[in-house]
Amino acid sequence: MAQPWVTLVARLVLGGVLLLAGYLKEQSPSTAQMAVRAYRLLPVGIANFFGLALPWLEIGAGILLIIGVTVRYASIFGGSLMLLFVGAISQAWARGLSIDCGCFGGGGEVAAGHTQYLQEILRDLGLTAAAIFLFLYPHGKLGLDKAKIQGDENEQ
Amino acid sequence: MSNKNNKKKNVAKETDNTTRNIAVGMILFVVLIGAGFSVLSNKTNSKVSIPSTVSAADGYGIVLNKDAKVKVDLWEDFQCPNCRNFEAVSGGYLNDLARAGKIRVTYHPMTFIGPESILAAAAAACTVDSGKFLQMHMALYESQPAKENSGTWTNAALKVIATTAGDTSSATQACIDSGKYVNWTKNVEADAATKNVNSTPTMFINGKQLDQTHYLNLAALKADFAALGVK
Repeated sequence: MAQPWVTLVARLVLGGVLLLAGYLKEQSPSTAQMAVRAYRLLPVGIANFFGLALPWLEIGAGILLIIGVTVRYASIFGGSLMLLFVGAISQAWARGLSIDCGCFGGGGEVAAGHTQYLQEILRDLGLTAAAIFLFLYPHGKLGLDKAKIQGDENEQ
Repeated sequence: MSNKNNKKKNVAKETDNTTRNIAVGMILFVVLIGAGFSVLSNKTNSKVSIPSTVSAADGYGIVLNKDAKVKVDLWEDFQCPNCRNFEAVSGGYLNDLARAGKIRVTYHPMTFIGPESILAAAAAACTVDSGKFLQMHMALYESQPAKENSGTWTNAALKVIATTAGDTSSATQACIDSGKYVNWTKNVEADAATKNVNSTPTMFINGKQLDQTHYLNLAALKADFAALGVK
């Protein structure tokens, strides 16, 4: 069966990306805030709070996925986050804003013609696919959740 | 036999649950503490040392000519290449207006590009008290390193820049050395966040954002000021 291995890879990819993205954002909290504000979706105060909290949520979900704990919940969170990003980037694109997604730190307004919306959306859709796979098959190799779920079989 | 196996499984399950719950608990703890600390440390702090012309009412910016009618707010980062370009095109003109007392300028030196932005902004603030801020402001852009946070802007280097800019006061040197205004830079950053400043340079004239195409177009900038009676 390849599925447990695919689950492991999906966990490491989605978890690794979340952990890295969170870590890089946390290196410069004010830039992370700026990145969220630049989407012009949220009121400034809420955007600033979100910019500070998001990196830590990403770090937390990333670690959960990497060590394989509460994979299903973490995949729901990660997948929803990716869809949220896709929506946010799409609306920025549609409204003609010129921003960097700020996905891995950085962010804020950029010169027109320096946007990378399509690449950013495709990457996030790929990560959404990984999250959906993890939601459907949360039990894989080298996960802390695994033994527990085996014991829980009659509950499922 | 199968009974024994079942038992083993149950034991494994309980052990695993403990590890798992501890892991979940620890991660939740780290996330909450991290996010909480981040929110608390990115607020303005009224207890830090601030330069003489700085006040919370002006967003912790450095104010020149506080009584002039036309108000200019400039958010910049000394390491930002676009800010240097803006300075090269419009800096001389703005400095002339400021020196002539025709505009009230508030400089908000942001520091999101990194540690050397913090050192540069703190050093620039040190020159406020000796009245050499405009000179230091120019000198910093003239000596902006080609690469961000490359190790070029140390306090020692910034002291030399201040001296060559004409600020030879020993108080300024000591101020840079001691990092007196390092924590003030956080206030500027936190205030800029509340003003929705999402790129640098960002300039407001009388509370209105400058047209994006006027930053590197001196004639257009001059026309904006002329419309307000500043010539």
